[in-house]
Amino acid sequence: MTAPARRRPVISAWTAISPFGYGREAFANGVRSRREPVTEPGGPGEAAVVPSFDVREMFGRKKTRAMNRVSGLTVAAAQQLLADMALAPDGDREHIGFVLGTTTGSAQSMMDFTRASITAEQPDHVEPAAVPGTVMNCAAGQAAIWHGLKGPNATIAAGRTTGLQALNYARRLLMTERAEQVLCGAAEEHSDARSWLEHHRRGGAATLGEGCAMFLLEPADSADPRNVLATLTGIDSRICLDGDLAGTLQATVSSLLTRSGVATERVWAAVGSGFPAGSERPEDTTLRQLFGDEVTDRVPPVDLIGDTSAATALFGLASVLSVADGADHGEQDHIVVTACDDDGSVACALLQLGGER
Amino acid sequence: MSTSIGRRVVITGCGVVSSIGVGVREFTSALRAGRSNVRPISVFDTTGFAHDNGCEVADFEPARWIRTLDPGDLGRASRFSTAAARLAVEDSGLPLETLRAARTLVSVGSTDGEAHELDGLVAQELSAGLAGLDPRQVRRTSAGRLATSIARELELTDVETGTIATACSAGNYAIGNSLDAIRCGDAEFALCGGADALCRKTFTSFYRLRSIAPDCCRPFDRNRMGILTGEGAGILLLESLDSALARGARIYAEVLGYGMSCDAHHPVAPHQAGIARCMELALADAGVKPGEIDLISAHGTGTKANDMTESAAIRDLFGPKPPRTVSMKSMLGHSMGAASALAAIGCSIALTEQFIPPTINHRDTDPDCPVDCVPNESVDADLDIVQNNGWAFGGNNAVVLLGRYERQPRKETAR
Repeated sequence: MTAPARRRPVISAWTAISPFGYGREAFANGVRSRREPVTEPGGPGEAAVVPSFDVREMFGRKKTRAMNRVSGLTVAAAQQLLADMALAPDGDREHIGFVLGTTTGSAQSMMDFTRASITAEQPDHVEPAAVPGTVMNCAAGQAAIWHGLKGPNATIAAGRTTGLQALNYARRLLMTERAEQVLCGAAEEHSDARSWLEHHRRGGAATLGEGCAMFLLEPADSADPRNVLATLTGIDSRICLDGDLAGTLQATVSSLLTRSGVATERVWAAVGSGFPAGSERPEDTTLRQLFGDEVTDRVPPVDLIGDTSAATALFGLASVLSVADGADHGEQDHIVVTACDDDGSVACALLQLGGER
Repeated sequence: MSTSIGRRVVITGCGVVSSIGVGVREFTSALRAGRSNVRPISVFDTTGFAHDNGCEVADFEPARWIRTLDPGDLGRASRFSTAAARLAVEDSGLPLETLRAARTLVSVGSTDGEAHELDGLVAQELSAGLAGLDPRQVRRTSAGRLATSIARELELTDVETGTIATACSAGNYAIGNSLDAIRCGDAEFALCGGADALCRKTFTSFYRLRSIAPDCCRPFDRNRMGILTGEGAGILLLESLDSALARGARIYAEVLGYGMSCDAHHPVAPHQAGIARCMELALADAGVKPGEIDLISAHGTGTKANDMTESAAIRDLFGPKPPRTVSMKSMLGHSMGAASALAAIGCSIALTEQFIPPTINHRDTDPDCPVDCVPNESVDADLDIVQNNGWAFGGNNAVVLLGRYERQPRKETAR
């Protein structure tokens, strides 16, 4: 579906909390310098964690008993993004939507709770304050409470394609005028539980990353043109049924480009989701075939900060915007972000750098 | 606004996997008869809990509906969602080839995703350590699979898939998302609804919050004691009215609109102002006035807090004589992410068959919940517009409005 230009969503601000630290500059500097963040042992492998992130140090002891790590990362990222938006302090926030991507909320909180029930003297001797953190929408709900965001509030789970599905959901909220602005992000926490689940899922060790990337989306006609970083041209997604992931991805990207009337040559940067880890990377191969090495290598691989699972695609988008900032891209004014998951899902987003011309 | 927004959207297929029946026919007769199927929970060990009644999907045979995929690769919730999707497509009479050739959205709401599988992994961890987890079970845990499994089972490739993890209102979120996708031309068909499997984590959570009833669920009753945890899936097939008419489909109901709000107030407690605002938004979206609502299918969990808060919010909006307000959770238990989807199917059936499903187990209406909850026995009724409520942890509220299909649009909506 092509939205009328004035309703087309634009990205006018973004932030990231990542192993590179706090905020857009820290992330952009890390990506531009292609510096690998420090890792530490985590679960069966290595982990690149957000440096010295502690929920209670950041937000104090009050009101944080129920806040797990992924919620803390999300609340903190939303705080940074809201600070950029210069909202009236007591203004109406009923029209600000919040969309957050996740794999399954906090696997650690969920498994800790079950373990406590099984090992306690009585199965109900569990901490009631831990209950909200065991539900998949814990982080989005906490962000709404901390920041008074009363618009549509949604949590989206779609494996590694989550970030792009969240972006599409946010786009739909704007097109239908259910929200005037949407904070759209995706978050993953580092935890023992997630490390081991990922280890078993892929059948080998990996370096896991964590963090939250978050974007402000608003319709083109209500955004300040000076702030517009990119315009969302379209999103497409498929399910691969025949095991040929590369073929499905190729078809998805090509059909989106064709439908949008954008020639391959106009793509300045393409970033994939680093799927699957290991020697064979059909996603990377496909993007190279479509766009060539220069366009594919414009941005460092998204797993520079470790595998961020459901947050991968939005960290990919943040990486492209980091490198595009101030770059001379000439007539190559579009960017492509893709993601694949081992459940066969494939997604692709096409964005135009800056506002529509 | 784009010209294609405003495309009318109808429900033409319903797939039910529930504790009171699988398939529309069984589900309808249970709703009409006011049946429940409360029994001690068997899907996890309840040793040590003083009471353990729940609403399980008993004797579920996934292989009857899951034919392409190996059910062993799917978590319990994905088995429910996938079976319900197959049932919805069969119920709609839509040829699979048509579905496969069209752009489709699969949107499934859930509270817990595959938390039942995570529970099982905890048990493995306790005996064999984290290194000893079963990889096949690990691969079942991603919540996105509740949606992608449907696409893979039905062999849909040109499809948008996603699980909406907004807890106990997630079914309504998914229906609303699908309404918007079809309205604005993102999809021609949508398979949408919700699914959840009973799990120890959630049972223990509600038990610890003292919100599990010892015997049965009695919404709006003076002596209500809480919820019974339940499970299942409700998946609806949505398409544009034009598409339904062109293929001569049976139309259950029209999706007139929906609304979402976030309380931004408390992680678990319902919030009167937030849910009242959500109902207002749904009415505005559908271009319907409160006086036009014939029936409210309440969130109606049977907890002290929910039923009182919900009744108060309804009276805020509808005045001292609100429409009849029933809770299907009295029959189904609280099936979490499936709850508002199964209730939406119940509403569709109510509109088609012109009866009101009852609120069972009801003895004595709480003066703090002054609604006519149609106690214990279904009644025939002339229903035109029905409102389906869903509230959730995280303050995630969503309300869907369904109407009896009429040839003429009810009115030019403001949208």
